[in-house]
Amino acid sequence: MKVLCYSSFTFSYLNRARVLFQTLRRFHPDWELVALVTDRPPAGFRFDPAAEPFDRVVWAQELGIPDFPAWLFKHDVVEVCTAVKGPFLHQACESGADAVVYLDPDTALFGSLAPIEAWLEDHDILLTPHLIDPNDTPEAIADNDLSASRTGIFNLGFVAIRTTGEGARFAKWWNDRLLDWCYDDMPAGLFVDQRWCDHVPALFDRVKVIRDPGYNVASWNLSTRTVAVGKDGQVTVNGAPLRFWHFTKLGPMGDAMTKKYGGTNFPVYEVWSWYKRQVTKATDGAIPERWWAYGAYSDGTPIEKSHRVLYRRRPDLQAAFPDPFAAGDGGFPQWLEREGL
Amino acid sequence: MAVLARSSASADEVHRVISTALDGAFYRAVNPDLAESGLDPIRHYAGSGWREGRDPAPWFSTRAYVEAYPEVVKAGWNPLHHYLIVGRREGREVVRSTLADDYLLRRARRGEAPAWRFETLIGEGQAADVLAEETALRHRERSLAAQEFDAGFYVASNPDVARTGVDPLDHFLASGWREGRDPNAAFSVKDYLESYPDIAAADINPFVHYLSAGRAEGRTGRTELGFRYEIIKRLVPLETRVAAVARASARLKLGTAAALAKALGGARTGLADLHVTFSHDDYTANTGGVQLCLQREGARLAALGRDHLHLYPAKPWPVVRVRGEPGHLGVLLNGEPAGIFAPKTIAGVLAKTAGAAKPRRRSFAIHSLLGHAASEAADILAAAELKAGFFWLHDFASLCAGFHLLRNDVEDCSAPPPESAACGICVYGPWRDRHLAEHERLFERLALTVVSPSQPTLDLWKASSAYPAAGETVLPHATLVARGPAPATPADRPLRVAYTGMPTAHKGWEIFRDLAARFAADPRYHFLHLGGRAPVGSPIEFHKVTVTGATPRAMQDAIARHEADVVLLWPLCRETFSFAAYEAVAAGAAIVAGPDSGNVAAFVEAGGHGIVLGDEDALARAFEAGEVLQLARAKRLPMLYDLAFSGLTVDLLEGVP
Repeated sequence: MKVLCYSSFTFSYLNRARVLFQTLRRFHPDWELVALVTDRPPAGFRFDPAAEPFDRVVWAQELGIPDFPAWLFKHDVVEVCTAVKGPFLHQACESGADAVVYLDPDTALFGSLAPIEAWLEDHDILLTPHLIDPNDTPEAIADNDLSASRTGIFNLGFVAIRTTGEGARFAKWWNDRLLDWCYDDMPAGLFVDQRWCDHVPALFDRVKVIRDPGYNVASWNLSTRTVAVGKDGQVTVNGAPLRFWHFTKLGPMGDAMTKKYGGTNFPVYEVWSWYKRQVTKATDGAIPERWWAYGAYSDGTPIEKSHRVLYRRRPDLQAAFPDPFAAGDGGFPQWLEREGL
Repeated sequence: MAVLARSSASADEVHRVISTALDGAFYRAVNPDLAESGLDPIRHYAGSGWREGRDPAPWFSTRAYVEAYPEVVKAGWNPLHHYLIVGRREGREVVRSTLADDYLLRRARRGEAPAWRFETLIGEGQAADVLAEETALRHRERSLAAQEFDAGFYVASNPDVARTGVDPLDHFLASGWREGRDPNAAFSVKDYLESYPDIAAADINPFVHYLSAGRAEGRTGRTELGFRYEIIKRLVPLETRVAAVARASARLKLGTAAALAKALGGARTGLADLHVTFSHDDYTANTGGVQLCLQREGARLAALGRDHLHLYPAKPWPVVRVRGEPGHLGVLLNGEPAGIFAPKTIAGVLAKTAGAAKPRRRSFAIHSLLGHAASEAADILAAAELKAGFFWLHDFASLCAGFHLLRNDVEDCSAPPPESAACGICVYGPWRDRHLAEHERLFERLALTVVSPSQPTLDLWKASSAYPAAGETVLPHATLVARGPAPATPADRPLRVAYTGMPTAHKGWEIFRDLAARFAADPRYHFLHLGGRAPVGSPIEFHKVTVTGATPRAMQDAIARHEADVVLLWPLCRETFSFAAYEAVAAGAAIVAGPDSGNVAAFVEAGGHGIVLGDEDALARAFEAGEVLQLARAKRLPMLYDLAFSGLTVDLLEGVP
């Protein structure tokens, strides 16, 4: 099976993506690894794709999204990095690959994903739920079950499809939805690309929900998963081999939730400790923290979220300012200033 | 005034805080333009209102606060939120809204008075009122904290505070919490601040917050993470340690070939009868199991009149070196320092000096390759015309850079395949190949007989390696020689459970400490610690015991003197021999051992010296159920023993009686 595996990120996540792709190369040297980047490299950082642990880079602007600057401006960094996953997946169905796997840049493999290739023989769409076991304490239910109810049953840090049949139909549908409706707007029933996939088991056939605890281990499911390291060298989760971990929220918030539910299950901290060491090693000091080229107008002024929201709600502004990033006379930022916004 | 921290509060948090002080009626009244927006005043003020210079209450002028403290806005704070959380306590001043008087006048004309007294916040007498409020606040905080503050716990955990005589609660509220001291056993200041960055950013007493709000919000006062969490958190990448020692090694001042030749000139036999040893350090300057072994080996060689040349890395390397890394070697001749030299210098001088003598009885033993490069060691031995010798398994450095086989310093790994997931997450994993390659090189260059101090050590080594060894043998460092029955002890006293030695994690201190804490109030048990030092604040009965070359039996004597019934030997890593186990049994104690204790478990099981338990839960259960009470001296009527020590490698040399 010819597999294409991609991840979507900006340069501030290059360190994490490097760790992911290094682990992918180790376990799947035959997969084609693609970095989908919605960013421009910061000044002072020389980006050499040939030296990176992926096979090629696709820049978001190459996806052929109509009115790209205007479309991009409507999204914040998280929204856009999730939104571009749809168009890429849709287009990858025509790339000659038999299967496409998406993994978030803050995931890392600890074992082979060969079972998903086997599952894709019988299924067209694979998803990993946030939870595969219910919680039973009020705190864990509030933190995990209700959180998943708000943000989506499935974690879209992973999705795998066959590029034909229902897989291709899913990719087209996801592409269409994400081009227009990939926002963090929970009251409106939207949480970027994720809430959409609550519909997948209803809208598509040949869907497999991966209920193996070794997949997509993360702070939101540690309350029901126990990690162990055997004398044989295997790392297991509830007895199943650990396949990949989702290191969401690297930093104090991630640590707090991990400790809250990891408790005395110390191999959890061994895994995190390993990840932090790898990310430190993969970090290039030339990339400023929180760097995102599209986070500022052309004159360097940071773009406020409210400006993006205003722009996406107002077709008249979209028509008047086809490149809203452009500062200066007659630009969108000047209009905002004059309007006192 | 403290350095201003950036605001890290979420929108929800800001909303929650300002909702306590924003005067909605005022806000609506002075901002009639908002009526159409439908937004509630709090949301509006939190969103755009403050940026537009609107005031949240009659007593607070947003514009005045922002002008007086521009850094507040720069640091991302909503001015009212900042004042309520930080500014007020720092004594920052607020100015009444310019709209306040008019608004209050209008209300007064309608016969309405505000629910609070404007004058307590600003205006004349402000300083006194603020002070009064501060005092009242402190009083409220103290009363709240006092309900669950455990003064006894605080004093026991903080002997330095106890010595000052300060009231423990006052100390905790004034500075103790900032120093990470805990108010009771159920609340961890450190945990709370780590778990809840919003509280840390707000710079408030976390215990007071927990009692007044946090607990009701579902926050946790203490996260039980276990001691292994702390070890993992402190892990230092091996490359950092190696880089540091490489830098230190490169700075060493080296002796010349002439100086070494001169030192070797003082040899007993002119190096005709020569035994060369390699280890990780200077056995005359450091203490430990391997050092004791080398001292015995050296003493036996001296008694035989042979020369003993010992080579060790002058700076302590945590890994084996590869050729080219600056690892200069310290040289001891017959236990006396000869200087520090480059490995090449040593090989060169040895070739001349030893070459000049007609070799008679020459031998070598590698006790540890840490800090040595295989090819350099082989070159040095070749210079003395040596190829066949002994390789000791004092540890597992020949299997991994983590020579205790303690994955991430927290759990025995049993040397799984190097490509395993376990090695993949281990801090020593990336260095394992180096150790395997260097030892492979060593075994290829030399004809090495592997000597193991115990059978289980040799078994694991053989199962986990494929080096071309010339032979193998098991030679225990000591054996038990019966001395007679131990003195009788009363049957009706608590079981005396001891920990012996340094309180370190890899020797199992925390397992003992937690067990002692759990059963501290159980009249069936009494816990004691015999060793060189006790951890600060340890509540466990401690007796100082110092084992030196002059007092090698000090620990054995102490165990007998204190009539320990049981010694808990629960090392996290497998012991290749364990003098501690032999000393315990020789002194009449039984051993309770952990499953990964290597030769401790084997020794206990082979000799019926105690019990081996499956895991830490089983240990707790054995104490809970009283199973371990069977190990009381009064029930076992144990024997006492002497230890008969081996002569180490000398026992294996040809021509030694």
